[in-house]
Amino acid sequence: MDLETLLSYEWGTMAPEFIILGVATALSLLDLFMPKKVDRRILGWLGFTGILAAIVALVSLIGHDTTSILFDTFRLDGFAKAFKLILLAGAALVLLLAIDYEPKEGMKEYRGEFFYLFLTALLGAMMMSSSGDLITLFIGLELLSLSSYILAGMRKKNLQSNESAMKYVINGGISTAITLFGMSYVYGLTGTTNLKEMSLILGNIADPQHVYILGLAFFLIFIGLSFKIASAPFHMWAPDVYEGAPTPVTAFLSVVSKTAGFVILLRLLLAIFASVPVQGDGAEPLPLLLRMQDYLAFLAGATMIIGNVIALRQRNVKRLFAYSSIAHAGYILVALTTMSYFMFDAIWFYLLAYLFMNLGAFAILQLITSKTGSEDIGQFAGLYQRAPVLAVGMGIFILSLAGIPGTAGFIGKLNIFMGALIREPAHFVLVGIMIVMTVVSYVYYFGLFTQMFFRPAADDSKLKLSPGITTVVVICAAATVLFGIMPNLALDFFHQNFNGFSDFLQ
Amino acid sequence: MLTGEFIAFMALALVAIIGGVLLINLTKVIHMVVALVFTFVSIAGIFVILSAEFIAAVQILIYSGAITIIMLFGIMLTRHDDTSEPITGKWRKLFLLLGVLGFGVAVYIGIYNLDIPQAANTLHVDNTEQIGISLYSHFIIPFELTSVLLLVALIGAIVLAKKDEDDEKEAEKE
Repeated sequence: MDLETLLSYEWGTMAPEFIILGVATALSLLDLFMPKKVDRRILGWLGFTGILAAIVALVSLIGHDTTSILFDTFRLDGFAKAFKLILLAGAALVLLLAIDYEPKEGMKEYRGEFFYLFLTALLGAMMMSSSGDLITLFIGLELLSLSSYILAGMRKKNLQSNESAMKYVINGGISTAITLFGMSYVYGLTGTTNLKEMSLILGNIADPQHVYILGLAFFLIFIGLSFKIASAPFHMWAPDVYEGAPTPVTAFLSVVSKTAGFVILLRLLLAIFASVPVQGDGAEPLPLLLRMQDYLAFLAGATMIIGNVIALRQRNVKRLFAYSSIAHAGYILVALTTMSYFMFDAIWFYLLAYLFMNLGAFAILQLITSKTGSEDIGQFAGLYQRAPVLAVGMGIFILSLAGIPGTAGFIGKLNIFMGALIREPAHFVLVGIMIVMTVVSYVYYFGLFTQMFFRPAADDSKLKLSPGITTVVVICAAATVLFGIMPNLALDFFHQNFNGFSDFLQ
Repeated sequence: MLTGEFIAFMALALVAIIGGVLLINLTKVIHMVVALVFTFVSIAGIFVILSAEFIAAVQILIYSGAITIIMLFGIMLTRHDDTSEPITGKWRKLFLLLGVLGFGVAVYIGIYNLDIPQAANTLHVDNTEQIGISLYSHFIIPFELTSVLLLVALIGAIVLAKKDEDDEKEAEKE
């Protein structure tokens, strides 16, 4: 391959990635050469501007045709665009939280690193969403993981943070090994890392022994990746890591990292396993993915039950949100399990709604916990008297997380229900579990609610709002209500611009 | 059936697995590292059998050489006479054993009598050159991304391991 071929690719379609990479590099150099006295927050604002620029670049690419660079090691298709939008928006909001983050023991020294590690993690997540090659997908996954491990341990003098980083790294290492083992089987059977070629080769597979191995690979890949989305059986790291990590990092893990996990899961499962025909009891061969539905359903149900039931007993708010995020992963897995025609719509919309409602809640959580240093649920007592606007904002986020009509969370859940019921045969058991667990989740969400509105405040001091947190709360609350009342704004945008991901394997 | 290749593979695989098992079961960290070296070297041997000499050399250089040495440094600079103590209960061990056996059986069913159609290929000819060409043309994007990954690892290691200036000042006062 000569330079001419290399230059003939449309590198412009990688503009968002280049911007993030460039800004991250620039920030690291600036951090190195800036005088020690200068406040590093300016780097955070630079990073934020960089992400906004990347969003603009991505929006300008939305109308662009499906592009593939270098044999699909990078590809820009509807799927990539749609999910990169969520990732970028989430990272922008998280960075605003990070700028205002002020832990008790201080973090003056590593603030610069704090910002650009977020950006490299974002870069990894973006590569995970726009590649059609196992190698790039895996490197993106590792870039995201490695950056997150370090971010989780950023509060060096906090014992919990150290513990959480250690747990995260060990669990992450194990899960990566499992994923890679599964991928190696798929590679061994097909002899290629390109997802499109893989799907072609696997479409003609007939040997039941090969199908058995592919089934094994399916489980290994799914279990390994369930670490990233914090679902059963790889969910137990979530509460400890969420509790110990700095709050913006927790927000990042629960939104951006989880979204990236679902993105790579969808890409791999649909590209590889949906094309394997399995001769079953019936006359027509079914794709392997559909054969696995029962197991997926079991894991989705288990995730919902574990997340919601254990959340009932939590007094620490960050742990509570960790279990709640496990439960939400379970809801999205329901959409994945049912594989209805609306699967993509339902998952995309739910992740979008989850982004706003969860980040908003974490913004308020950060404000309240950093002030007192305690993460007990009692800190929320009397929030309505202390800061009525904040309390109303938090109320909106909690209603949305619980799935009350009028909020984006409700529409997201409704989409998943519809998808599960429209299939033949309908997944009544799964829907039943989801409804019961939603009701269970009301208990702990409304526990938080009563603390805020009906309990007297422990101290009456006013909360000082910083610009970053205010912006995040306002944007998130507005979006949560807007998409709750007019969900078609988002869904129409989705249908008009991404063609239902018809270019997924082209 | 009993070709030289088969015997060599069995010997190397056995050493690799024994090294791995010893790594988990030994109690002194130095012994663990030595067990690890055995695993690494025998994996390199397996690469040679597969006529992937370049990867074998890299395996020796990076894993048996660099990573082991760094681990030794790490051990020397920290509490190197530490021994780990097993604290797991009896039931947990039993469940773990069942889990491992179950997984082993599941995989064995899959690979026993597995027949993968083999096509003649030229992968072993000039494999270093072939790796180089595909790394710098076909896979240039993941390759460049790996450099970012290494940068992150480097920065992270420094951030997490560096002593704070405040600590140093306090140490000087004392």
